[in-house]
Amino acid sequence: MTSSRTTPEWVTPVLVLAAVALLVVLPLVVASFYLFLLTRILILGLFATAFNIVFGFGGMPSLGHAALFGIGGYVVGIAVSKSDLSFPVILVLALLSGTALGVVFGLFNLRARGIYLLLLTLALAQAVHGLAYQQVALTGGDNGISGITREGLPVPTSAPAFYWFTLVLVAMSLALMWTFMRSPVGMVITALRESESRLSATGYRVGGYRVAAFAVSGAFSALAGLLDTYLLGSVSPSSVAFLLSAEVVVFAILGGARYFLGPLLGAAIILALEFYVSSYTTRWTVVLGVLYVLTALFMQDGVLGRVTQLSRRLRRNNVKPAPLETEIPRPDEMPVLMKPDEMPVLMKEVQS
Amino acid sequence: MSWVSNLLNGLAFGSLLFLVASGLTITFGLMRTINLAHGAFYLLGGYFAFDLFERTDNYWLSLLLAVALTAALGMLMERFLLHRLLNQELPQIILTVGVALIVGDLLLAKYGGNPISPPVPAQLEGSLQLSDTMVFPKFRAFLIILALVLAALTVAFLRWSSVGAKVRAAVDDQDIARSIGIPVPIIFLLVFGAGTALAAFAGVWGGALTSLSPDAGFEVLLLALVVVVVGGLGSVPGALIAAFAVGLLDQFGRVLFPEWALFTVYAPVALFLAFRPTGLMGQVATR
Repeated sequence: MTSSRTTPEWVTPVLVLAAVALLVVLPLVVASFYLFLLTRILILGLFATAFNIVFGFGGMPSLGHAALFGIGGYVVGIAVSKSDLSFPVILVLALLSGTALGVVFGLFNLRARGIYLLLLTLALAQAVHGLAYQQVALTGGDNGISGITREGLPVPTSAPAFYWFTLVLVAMSLALMWTFMRSPVGMVITALRESESRLSATGYRVGGYRVAAFAVSGAFSALAGLLDTYLLGSVSPSSVAFLLSAEVVVFAILGGARYFLGPLLGAAIILALEFYVSSYTTRWTVVLGVLYVLTALFMQDGVLGRVTQLSRRLRRNNVKPAPLETEIPRPDEMPVLMKPDEMPVLMKEVQS
Repeated sequence: MSWVSNLLNGLAFGSLLFLVASGLTITFGLMRTINLAHGAFYLLGGYFAFDLFERTDNYWLSLLLAVALTAALGMLMERFLLHRLLNQELPQIILTVGVALIVGDLLLAKYGGNPISPPVPAQLEGSLQLSDTMVFPKFRAFLIILALVLAALTVAFLRWSSVGAKVRAAVDDQDIARSIGIPVPIIFLLVFGAGTALAAFAGVWGGALTSLSPDAGFEVLLLALVVVVVGGLGSVPGALIAAFAVGLLDQFGRVLFPEWALFTVYAPVALFLAFRPTGLMGQVATR
């Protein structure tokens, strides 16, 4: 993260605390239909953040993450409809299956890079989608499993209680992922994005770290899937569908895949827009499509990337350099299109 | 259902996949432009032909117009949107998924969600009597022949025609191709137009085989993508082999293990790609 020179160190923690406090008291002030939206933003934001471990930090463009999300949802659906397991057991099962599927994803993708990784993760997710669709006895096929109540949860079934429950789990997960990305293993995963060949030449066994990134990402994705199923009360093949895999990529890029909180922001933007636009027209999908097109054309660095650029430009304008005697621009004033640290490395990685 | 008819049906479905994949092979495989709206153009072709046939009652005219209209839309998308994202795969994916969402939803608004069936030429109605007990629809038999002919034509065009040589040059090294006077942007535009035209053509024929609905675009697109990748990016013969393999896997998977349908297609494909990411006949990317 780029900590700016001018802001004191205490600003960030204070801002985070204020945001958390705001999120905690929100159910007391907003109407209940906004609460559903907020809960969904938290859940899909968690999914997008987990996805970004592989995508934005690991530099591996997965187009099959819906499978890791959906498996958590189906664990809940199958456990609730076919057994009487308690919530802690379901939670552990969901985390374990997400991790296991993440490991499978990682192992399959040991030799695939860039575009091939995209397509291989897509094929894996389609295999999982095929299972969800065809194993009718277990998964309910096209209709999915519905009527999943929140009675098993260790909290009351009311909407605010579920919101707080989600908030706690999501906040804990974000904190864990943040710590993980700052740990030595997380640093190596980030280095995968920067230069896998140099990492490998330095003696790191990159394969293991690639699998680790997918495993951690899978566990938290499955947790998001679990929460989503409890929120909606149902799970269907759309939870493992290609369109969700694509949507989470857009969440990450629109918010800013280079930033830890970027994907969460992207999810918030799209879900809030969906909520707003859907009250005016039934053609939300068209608007979503337009949004995808605009993101691809103009927002490849994401909202946070744009904000960072803007604040840098403002700061540069404030500090006016002493006028030179000649008109030759100094090297640091030359019209650099993009500084090395601003380059969307992600995009570059995918190309090669 | 006997083994022979399953085999033939698998081959017919494989042929449909090849028709879809042939367009992808040249836009994605050769140009390295990922077009996930290919399925949307497939739908557009089918729906246009359906609509035009209702109005004109002339099969060949509606086929021709549907293909031309779709190709024009494809070229517009290439010129005004995709061309800005040359060589940037991830933005290309997002952009074309967006276009596909728009097209799918507009088709839903215009024609509703119920499946429709594009027209079939009158000469291909009815069945062939293969033996005393077995019949096979003429349309499907023709589809298999069509796929083989199309594969041969595409290979020949790329390998031996002067335009094909220019296409290969433009794809291989844009800068050098430009410097010797090949109009690279126009070549790319035409190649993309040809790709979408093939998608539309596949939509008319494939739609008649499986019927079309606004959400069928992604299904067929994903299978065709798999075919292109398993065949090896840019390899037409590879795509043909992969299409037949996937068609047969799908058909026999559905018949023998109905609970595992689709899984029997994608799981072997994923396993294959894990060991050989570049596919059957793909070359190692040099870029």
